[in-house]
Amino acid sequence: MSTNASLKKSLSIGLTIGVSLLWLFGAISSGLVVQKEMNESFDKALKKSALQILPLVISDSLQKKKDNSQEIPTRENDDEYLTYTIKDQHGNVLFHSKDANPKVFNGSLQMGFSNTESHRIYTTSTLDNRVYIQVAEQLARRNEDLIEAGIALLLPLLFLAPISLFGIWWIIRLSLRKVAVFQFDIAERGAGNLSPVEMEKLPKEFKPIAVAVNRLLERLRRTLEAERSFTANSAHELRTPLATALAKVQRIKSAATDEPLKTQITDVENSLKSLSKQSEKLLELAKAEGGGAISQQPNNLVPILKMIVGDFSRQFPERIKLTLAKNEINSLLDPDAFAILARNLIENALKHGRSNHPVDVNLQADGRLRVVNECDLVAPQDLALLRNRFVRANTTAPGSGLGLAIVDAIAKGAGITLELRSPANGKKDGFEVELNLGTNLTQAS
Amino acid sequence: MRVLLIEDTTGLGEAVRDQICDDGHAVDWVQSLNFAEASVQATSYDLVLLDLMLPDGNGFDFLKSLRKSGNSTPVIILTARDQVSDRIEGLNAGADDYLIKPFDLSELSARVGAVARRYRGDPNPLVKLGHLEIDLGEHRIKANGLPVELTAREWALFEGLVQRPGTLLSRSQLEDRLYQFGAEIESNTIEVYISRLRKKLGRDVIITVRNMGYRLETYEH
Repeated sequence: MSTNASLKKSLSIGLTIGVSLLWLFGAISSGLVVQKEMNESFDKALKKSALQILPLVISDSLQKKKDNSQEIPTRENDDEYLTYTIKDQHGNVLFHSKDANPKVFNGSLQMGFSNTESHRIYTTSTLDNRVYIQVAEQLARRNEDLIEAGIALLLPLLFLAPISLFGIWWIIRLSLRKVAVFQFDIAERGAGNLSPVEMEKLPKEFKPIAVAVNRLLERLRRTLEAERSFTANSAHELRTPLATALAKVQRIKSAATDEPLKTQITDVENSLKSLSKQSEKLLELAKAEGGGAISQQPNNLVPILKMIVGDFSRQFPERIKLTLAKNEINSLLDPDAFAILARNLIENALKHGRSNHPVDVNLQADGRLRVVNECDLVAPQDLALLRNRFVRANTTAPGSGLGLAIVDAIAKGAGITLELRSPANGKKDGFEVELNLGTNLTQAS
Repeated sequence: MRVLLIEDTTGLGEAVRDQICDDGHAVDWVQSLNFAEASVQATSYDLVLLDLMLPDGNGFDFLKSLRKSGNSTPVIILTARDQVSDRIEGLNAGADDYLIKPFDLSELSARVGAVARRYRGDPNPLVKLGHLEIDLGEHRIKANGLPVELTAREWALFEGLVQRPGTLLSRSQLEDRLYQFGAEIESNTIEVYISRLRKKLGRDVIITVRNMGYRLETYEH
């Protein structure tokens, strides 16, 4: 049997074959017992017949002084089921039944049961041993009855084996239903979902597997947490010296009076800002790819989005048009992952959108987040490449080329579909990003 | 304003202190929570700049205990922790603003001004007093439509009066605003600066209340 065969199939076939073989063995054993009992029963009947016929024949003979070879007429003797012959102590036939075959009775007068090729014979005599009777029964008739009994024992197997196969398959399927749910739960969970799998309702035999899976998930979660903690610490360790360097440079710049020197200091300042931005993006990508995009508890995304948009509004007043649903938008997307995702989308839209048009940020009641900016059409082949790292649209705007790769990594980790469109919905040009952060995410996880 | 800066990184602390001083505020800079706690008990501050990861503890704990004690001084968190969950925790603990490192010193100055104005209940940085137009955000003053240049110390003193127009400020309250320059404060320092301000802005702008202090003319009549 193939190692990856279905457990249900192999168990059903194996159990059915096993049960059928046992049944066959049982039927054969029973057949043998029945044969023995039937033979005994037939023998008893044969003996009884002989003992009953003998007195009748003697009585009749004494009364009518019949001829030795005269046969006794009977009402029915259609199929030679039982034939008999009466002999004297010398073996001479006194008389016989109608269809008695002399060849069957030409043996010695051995008392009790004996067999010929075709008959079973019972021989007995009167007490003074002057008159003997031999009653014969056809063996074929006996065998016919035995075969019929055997068939009666085996015939149900033909009907019951398929029913048994179906029954076994159904019971196994029913018993494995929780295993199938367990299997579905593991198969359907998103890459970022490392919560323990449900094991309470599993059959006892499968619990060790669930325990092992949960241990593995826990180890994976700890490893990822360690990685995230390392990323967070790296971020901290990088940010502090960068902040110091930038602040120092800005202080020197404010004190400098020499214009060429001031220009050079500005170059250093810009390089530091660029380094800071690039390292921030790389750390965000590491965080996004490190998993943990799914949170254990749903979080309201509305205040987080307000906060992110508020940050940009200070820097780019009047450039963001925020439309929010009136209700809470609760999502299992991790708040930090959502903040990174929203920040990158808005930053991209501000960077690549036309500066005289606002960026439209819309979080709808169903959890759909849309970020739309005005720009020239992005060619379909460029659109397909935008999710890749360090790939930028045909633009001169400064940027890391990591923004959409970060968003894509978070979306994949959380099982969200990221849609990029150009032209934007209902427009002739422009660029639109859409993600569904609401109920679908809860189901996907 | 009197600002308490809590920052353990020496280079960054120096740069931030110098920037805030240049904006005309007096800064007390401490590098641990122990010193910060002692400072808030000893002095009344107008603003606290708080780093989160300090050698002797977490800035969140300091902020929580500050709020628990009933102190409502505005607090801006300066931190390298960029997670939105940290930020929410900070704002929930009672912070007024949150600035992630590395930041522009000019942005820090703007936020310090904005938070202080918000705290006073008037977020508008533009103040008009008689012939004076004052931009508290940009630290600019126009007298009769013409720009007037003030030194950092002059600005620090004048801003204190502008923040509470019509309110009498004692000599020691005004000296507090120049604390950063304390080493140079002499008995007549306040008089010297008041005299300079009157010369630049007009004689009637600042009123002397004998033996009590100074107040800004509100031009209500």
